[in-house]
Amino acid sequence: MPELELTVNGEIHSVDAPTGISLAELLREELGFTGTKIACNEGHCGACTVQVDGVPTLSCITLAHSVRGAVTTIEGLRDHPLVDAFVRADAVQCGFCTPGQVVSAAALVAASPEPTVEEIRHHMAGNICRCGTYPRIEEAILNWRG
Amino acid sequence: MARLIRTEKEVEGRFEEVWLVVEEDPLQQWPEGPLSVVGRPAVRQDGPQRVRGEARFTADVQLPGMLHTAILRSPHAHARVKRIDLSPALALPGVRAALGPGEAQGLADEAGFAGEPVAAVAAETYGQARAALRAIDVEWEVLEVVLDPQEAVERGLLTGEPTRYERGDFERALAEAEVVVESTYRTSVVLHNSLETHQAVCQWIGDTLEVHISTQYIWGVRDALAEKLGIPGDKVRVVCEYMGGGFGAKNDPGEYTFVAAELAKRTGRPVRCALTRREENVGAGNRNATIQKLTVGARSDGTLVALGGEFVNAIGWSGWSAPTDGPMQTLYACDNVRTVRYGAKINTPPMKAFRAPGYVEGTFGLECLLDELAAKLELDPLELRRRNHADSNDGKPYSSKNLLACYELAQKHWDRRADVRARSGTTWKHGVGMASQIWFGGGGPPSYAWTRVTSDGRVTVVTAMQDIGTGTRTAMAQIAAEELGVPLERVQVVLGDTARGPYATLSAGSSTTPSIGPAVRAAAADVKRQLIEIAAQRHHLEERVLDIRDGIVVSADGNLSQPLEELVGLLEDAQILGKGGRGPNPTGMSVLTFGIQVVEVAVDVETGEVRVERVAAAHDVGRIVNPLGARSQVEGGIVQGIGHTLSEQRLLDPETGRVLTSTLDAYRMPTIADLPEIVCEFVDRPDEHLTNLGAKGLGEPPIVPTAAAIANAIRDATGADVHELPISREELLRALREAQERAREGAKEHVGAR
Amino acid sequence: MELVRADSLQSLDGGVFIHGGTEVVPLLRDGILEAETLVDVRDVVPRGVDGNRIGAGTTLAELEVDPQIPEALREACRLAASPQLRNMGSIGGNLLQATRCWYWRLKYPCRLHGGDRCHAREGEHREHAVFANDFCASAHPSDVAAALLALGARLRTTQRELPLQDLYRLPDEGNRDVVTLAPGELILDLELPPVQASVYLKAMDRKRWSFPQVGVAAARTDGEIRFGLAGVAPIPWLLTAPEALDAATPLPRTAWKVEVARALVRRAVAAVGAA
Repeated sequence: MPELELTVNGEIHSVDAPTGISLAELLREELGFTGTKIACNEGHCGACTVQVDGVPTLSCITLAHSVRGAVTTIEGLRDHPLVDAFVRADAVQCGFCTPGQVVSAAALVAASPEPTVEEIRHHMAGNICRCGTYPRIEEAILNWRG
Repeated sequence: MARLIRTEKEVEGRFEEVWLVVEEDPLQQWPEGPLSVVGRPAVRQDGPQRVRGEARFTADVQLPGMLHTAILRSPHAHARVKRIDLSPALALPGVRAALGPGEAQGLADEAGFAGEPVAAVAAETYGQARAALRAIDVEWEVLEVVLDPQEAVERGLLTGEPTRYERGDFERALAEAEVVVESTYRTSVVLHNSLETHQAVCQWIGDTLEVHISTQYIWGVRDALAEKLGIPGDKVRVVCEYMGGGFGAKNDPGEYTFVAAELAKRTGRPVRCALTRREENVGAGNRNATIQKLTVGARSDGTLVALGGEFVNAIGWSGWSAPTDGPMQTLYACDNVRTVRYGAKINTPPMKAFRAPGYVEGTFGLECLLDELAAKLELDPLELRRRNHADSNDGKPYSSKNLLACYELAQKHWDRRADVRARSGTTWKHGVGMASQIWFGGGGPPSYAWTRVTSDGRVTVVTAMQDIGTGTRTAMAQIAAEELGVPLERVQVVLGDTARGPYATLSAGSSTTPSIGPAVRAAAADVKRQLIEIAAQRHHLEERVLDIRDGIVVSADGNLSQPLEELVGLLEDAQILGKGGRGPNPTGMSVLTFGIQVVEVAVDVETGEVRVERVAAAHDVGRIVNPLGARSQVEGGIVQGIGHTLSEQRLLDPETGRVLTSTLDAYRMPTIADLPEIVCEFVDRPDEHLTNLGAKGLGEPPIVPTAAAIANAIRDATGADVHELPISREELLRALREAQERAREGAKEHVGAR
Repeated sequence: MELVRADSLQSLDGGVFIHGGTEVVPLLRDGILEAETLVDVRDVVPRGVDGNRIGAGTTLAELEVDPQIPEALREACRLAASPQLRNMGSIGGNLLQATRCWYWRLKYPCRLHGGDRCHAREGEHREHAVFANDFCASAHPSDVAAALLALGARLRTTQRELPLQDLYRLPDEGNRDVVTLAPGELILDLELPPVQASVYLKAMDRKRWSFPQVGVAAARTDGEIRFGLAGVAPIPWLLTAPEALDAATPLPRTAWKVEVARALVRRAVAAVGAA
């Protein structure tokens, strides 16, 4: 199996993994980053969102061997002010989509520290929440700095 | 002393009589309104772990040596396995075991829908298991397929006897009615799509089966496994600490658990069986389609005199016939009601309960019908509802009902109609619609909780319930903190493990808070009583002058003020233990929830686009324990409701009966961009007859009226009568054309009359 | 399967090209696409916007905020797919995406897969084509292609230069492909002639993250308006004039799309100004 070197949350990992393995599978099953969820496994729901060089990316349809940049998962964002903002706003119900929401939102507020409602709705539309916590997610991102 | 009584229990509108042991005298209810902790917003205690991705879901359980399962499903909508050979699969790399029809519960030799499980393979990796499925050699005998529910009804292909209901004399009342409206409504199949798919990890440890499962009912899973496997219940341990959504589809073990348990037994290894998204959207349940032929007869002042309905539930191959007829029977005062409900057994994937099953569909039909009546009578739709308010449930008193108070809360939103309509231009038309809500949600016995106070003054509530994401841990902690008189952050709730806590009921049917909340309060009261007794002896005071407030033991005269941890600190390793059980529901009363939603829409009459701009909800669910969590339930229900009203629809290939929209590009749930402004209000009045808490459930009520309110707003904006869910552009453009033709006809008649 | 990284155009030699992977990876997993060798072309396909030239490796997310490109294309990118897919997907790859037809995606043995019938025509086709739907009723989902058609874009590949409409062909009995790329041919960049005004209007059943039910792009150049439509035919559909909608041949459940297209074309004309 081809070897692969991957920077995740600032640390370099070397793994042997088959070519077809997705980044999500590698993160969850080989490296133990289970905060990244797989919900559809075909790029439709956003639960698996991680950042690659700061850019929200669907890890379930990204081949691990094709990753060129540094990966940031929810485990790398645990101290981000968004976490507290999500809890405060009750922007979590079952919590299965939530790590992906935070990863997407972290990229949004990095690019646009005071996002408008329109920006939030445009940039967060790829993260499906079946519990429908969207009003709370919107509030959390609007007030992410506390 | 323990008292044995007989009482009624309800889940998702299905009633049964049960025996119940009632222990101590019930506690007095707390006064109305926000208390110290209960009734005040509390952030989720398990929020940080969920947000940070630390919460361990079933999907995250990785056990050493764990095998993975893939399930072979029938490609035919109806077929029998004539011959099956698993051996080619067993010979493949990584494959460790395989099961055929009959070798585990849920693997059938007669497949009644395309996607029914027939065999399973366990292998070292999921990829190997899946590859092995292709090697399984099956010879099928293809059987007759029925996909059309109407045909099934005509041919008597039903899941049970038709459910008939009549009060008064419907025929006569209809004949005497001054106005009659008849309409047929159709609702489509929608899919739960919990983001965590149905899955289980099973492992045998000695003679005990340990099960990690994404479920709404750990005890139900335990008992079903024990029964089918022929082992004692206490030899099955079921764990579900966090789950990624359920919405009614995860109340039982399902084939995936039985398959994993059997494969684990055969291999001696832990086995995971997890559905893929596509399998989830085929075999894990759905809200079935309905056809509703409805009739209303009224006097010209709007008084309803006759309501009639023929309801067809397109159940699929298995499932139950949900009470689509319920709203028609119970929402309004009407002396003459006749309904018949058929459960059509057809070769489509089985239904499972989905957030207020039957009532969501039935309310869409009934409340659209009422608005068509209001339009015909030129009556204010809200006024029409007020005039037909039911003061009793066909003679049976309500334990509490504040629907008129909900209408009162909604009035200010309803009064925006003129302003909203005035925004209409040539292409975008604006309008306002409403619909009422009735549903169950009273919960019931039994459920139990234990409470533990340790010598550091901290409190643990132990109850083997599950938190499906509604914020149960937090609500239970609030109830215990309130009763005990300690700050909320001192209370933690341990749940989700049948081996670590007493029985608690399922997290379905809006029953969690009303069922388990009272048990938690009783358990907290039990330890509080003991703490007071201890304090009385320690300080030589009478119990009746002592209380605990904000974590401090105080005496009525103010002379004693001792932190709780100081009092119990004396006891070192000792623990004060309390227990509590859920008492019965009030005898002879209907325990129901009520509400109204007022929706504002904008409709592009040229392209059929609908924008839901604002939804105002007012619900009556008794006491609100956590306003923050309650608001989230309402918002979530509305968002799901918007989905099945506008964009979600499961489609089948009419030839093969296979699901075509199993992927989430084709099955489209709302995104954050589809969010309207949502205003959420509660009557927040405890139900004085219901338990020591006076709280009813809120998981389901908010999704009940949304579709009808949207459809009624569309009518208000455009005059179009939509009769189908989802309201696709195709359906809306059809309804708009029909409305235009009607207007033209009307204009012609008008001219003719002159 | 192996994954190799192309380091020069000259070294390209067979294999399946992969850029963002948003289409290739799911199709590989479903067995619709097969590859012994995946060739990562990100190092050899130009990326970025330079005046009226767009590198085929530019992502949709980069394009949706680029002030240099015409409104129709910017809007088509902005309303395409989901944010993550726009971050990952390149404009070249977008042009080559396959239909969302559920029969095709679920591997029914349909005509596009080399079979002898179109399952959608007789089956569930409410999201399908209204033009050229006789052989195959699939609808092409590219918003971007519709915009580029209206804008009169030209492509440069490793082998030739061509107007965008020549990239596409209707599938027929003899050839089921919908694109005309030769094996090993790779799209390198796009060139946009100047237009006076352009617009993209899209009907969706969600406000975001929806493939086009009907997408209408219009661009005005001198006295002429060109229209590109998405979601109405097996390939992106060039409409020379609004009246050409009269030639639509909708299926029983796709007639509504014609109605929507008429309204959007009318609005597009109004938006770009009279010809």
